[in-house]
Amino acid sequence: MAKLFERRVTPADSLLDVAATTTLAFLLALLITSFLFISDGNNPLQAYFALFHEPFATLRGFGNALVRASPLALIGLGTIVSWRSGLAYLGFEGCFVIGAAAASWLALLTSPGQALGPLPFFVFLPLVILFSFAAGGAWAGAVGVIRARLGGNEVLISLMSNYVGIFFLQYLVSGPLRAPGSLPETVQLPQRTWLPFILPGTRAHAGVLLALLAAAIVWVLLKKMPLGYELIVTGFNPSAARYAGIDVVGKLTLAAFFAGGLGALAGMVEVLGSQHRLMDGISGGVGFVGIIVALLARLNPIAVIPTALLYGGMSVGADAMQRRANIPSSITFILQSLAVLLVLTTDVLRYYRFRPSALWGDKPLTAGEGTNR
Amino acid sequence: MTRSQLMNSAFFVTWLAASVRLAGPVLLAALGETFAERSGVLNVGIEGTILLGALTSFLVSLFTGMTWLALFTATGVGILTSIFLAWMYVTVKASQVVAGLVFNVLALGIASTVYRRTLGDSAIPESIAMFHPIHIRFLSDLPLIGPVLFGQTVLVYLTLALVMMAQFALFRTHFGLSLRASGENPAAADSAGISVTRVRYAGVLISGGAAGMAGAYIVLAQVGVFRESIVSGQGFIALAIVIFGRWNPVKAAGAALVFGACDALQLSLQIVGTHIPSQFLLALPYIVTILAISGLFGTKAVQPAALMSPYIKD
Repeated sequence: MAKLFERRVTPADSLLDVAATTTLAFLLALLITSFLFISDGNNPLQAYFALFHEPFATLRGFGNALVRASPLALIGLGTIVSWRSGLAYLGFEGCFVIGAAAASWLALLTSPGQALGPLPFFVFLPLVILFSFAAGGAWAGAVGVIRARLGGNEVLISLMSNYVGIFFLQYLVSGPLRAPGSLPETVQLPQRTWLPFILPGTRAHAGVLLALLAAAIVWVLLKKMPLGYELIVTGFNPSAARYAGIDVVGKLTLAAFFAGGLGALAGMVEVLGSQHRLMDGISGGVGFVGIIVALLARLNPIAVIPTALLYGGMSVGADAMQRRANIPSSITFILQSLAVLLVLTTDVLRYYRFRPSALWGDKPLTAGEGTNR
Repeated sequence: MTRSQLMNSAFFVTWLAASVRLAGPVLLAALGETFAERSGVLNVGIEGTILLGALTSFLVSLFTGMTWLALFTATGVGILTSIFLAWMYVTVKASQVVAGLVFNVLALGIASTVYRRTLGDSAIPESIAMFHPIHIRFLSDLPLIGPVLFGQTVLVYLTLALVMMAQFALFRTHFGLSLRASGENPAAADSAGISVTRVRYAGVLISGGAAGMAGAYIVLAQVGVFRESIVSGQGFIALAIVIFGRWNPVKAAGAALVFGACDALQLSLQIVGTHIPSQFLLALPYIVTILAISGLFGTKAVQPAALMSPYIKD
């Protein structure tokens, strides 16, 4: 029987095929979202111009796009490490908050008269990176241990841990770390602890470089190192990994630790580079958008960088769009998530050949159906 | 009775009554989710579906003032949006965690866009039509059990009736058998003439309808307003309750009560006034849930064998 979709003998998974289906999905998402603009009486072309002009055609906006992109990229990298190791960790909101809290606490300790006293930046920076990474790593590592040793469901446990982390942050900024005043936030962190700005005339900071460095490290880890190979084998087939002598429990715990550490660095970059103080609601959903970025980049540590820049830029543009055209910025959530859902859908085209001719009754050209599992 | 005893009994009555009231939405969502998971689909998208149900019921109640219409519309919207989810899970065979999670972001975007577009930047209306507690003569005046069991809104009784119906449907009907077979061994179910695709669509649509109703419950019986943060993980807690309740509606009701009790304890203790930071109490339901499903206590839960694996027909 002629079928509309005929299974391909080998899935089309060359770089070109993957890029083509992803682009197709993104264009479809733009097309669907433009109906939302039309229904609201806006010209979609003008709306998209507003969405992309500010972040990608103005220096100031581009700097802001870089600022928004760096935590997204770091969370995306955390997603890649854990998901490729077979651990569907979703607790990046929590890791982000823990990293932000750890970095702020350490930075506040270096204010004059506090326990550590003023530290030179080149001493403080490695210290704060290690401390945040370890704090987030321990936070997520606990979930890894629960999954690997006790068989608990990491999807739900990590989702729940987000809320615990967010309440912990609320406690910190309304209790022990609260600044005098009405808002739940800390005092401004000492200026000595801020990440330096790297592009004159913009707010882009050294966190961008940290994200790029992390992408390179994750790429080397997964592609070039035996440890990364063992992580990926664990992700593909834990039984085979165990049979090959890989310590699966240890690998899952390690993957969770790395993921949590990267998620915490995102929080650190946000407080030290952009906000310069710890406050309630600092994460604002970035933990989930970061996962979406990683998915759209198909869990590839290099592709995460441009994808994060695109999504970070879109969130900058959405604010501009709301200011100028009075279009709710939440419409970008729709655009951003539709893109991933459509990527999942267009993936069908890589496994199946679309045969519109089946509609008018032609026979399929190949007889390979069903033999190529 | 001394004054402190009176205080204590009043405290317990308020606490228990609030436990029952707060357990409602998560229990409704968990009941529906049980059907989806028994058919082999982990529907993570109920968090977003609850949000859409909450928005729908809020708007309908605001504009028509009819609470029942609001409840039914929210249920309908839950079912309609789940057609898309079911298509992603069953037909496209996408990763269920990914599709559900991304759908939640999509639902957040839709809900906040629709809300802002409908009501603009105008001030939030004072009140919408809501379900009120029914006072049953004599029964509601009984000590302790009166206020706990009989001073509740009609939605509590509706939820309890649905628990019984769900239990019956899952374990005593032909449909329930097909559902469980598709979740345990889809290939065998298929060769027995069951359409696994159709059964799984049904499971996901049921979970969507229940989630939409849960959203209406939150708005119409608890909060009375709409905010983007109104659901705050209750859909995820429902997923945990399904595990905690071992994929069984009656046991899920017990699990939901435990959750409701934690949530209510936080409210009651805040009223009494304690030195425990309120954030710790707010985090308590989530911590209890994590511990409950961590596998630390008791053996690993036995989940439907084909959960999260799409059925590919050879």
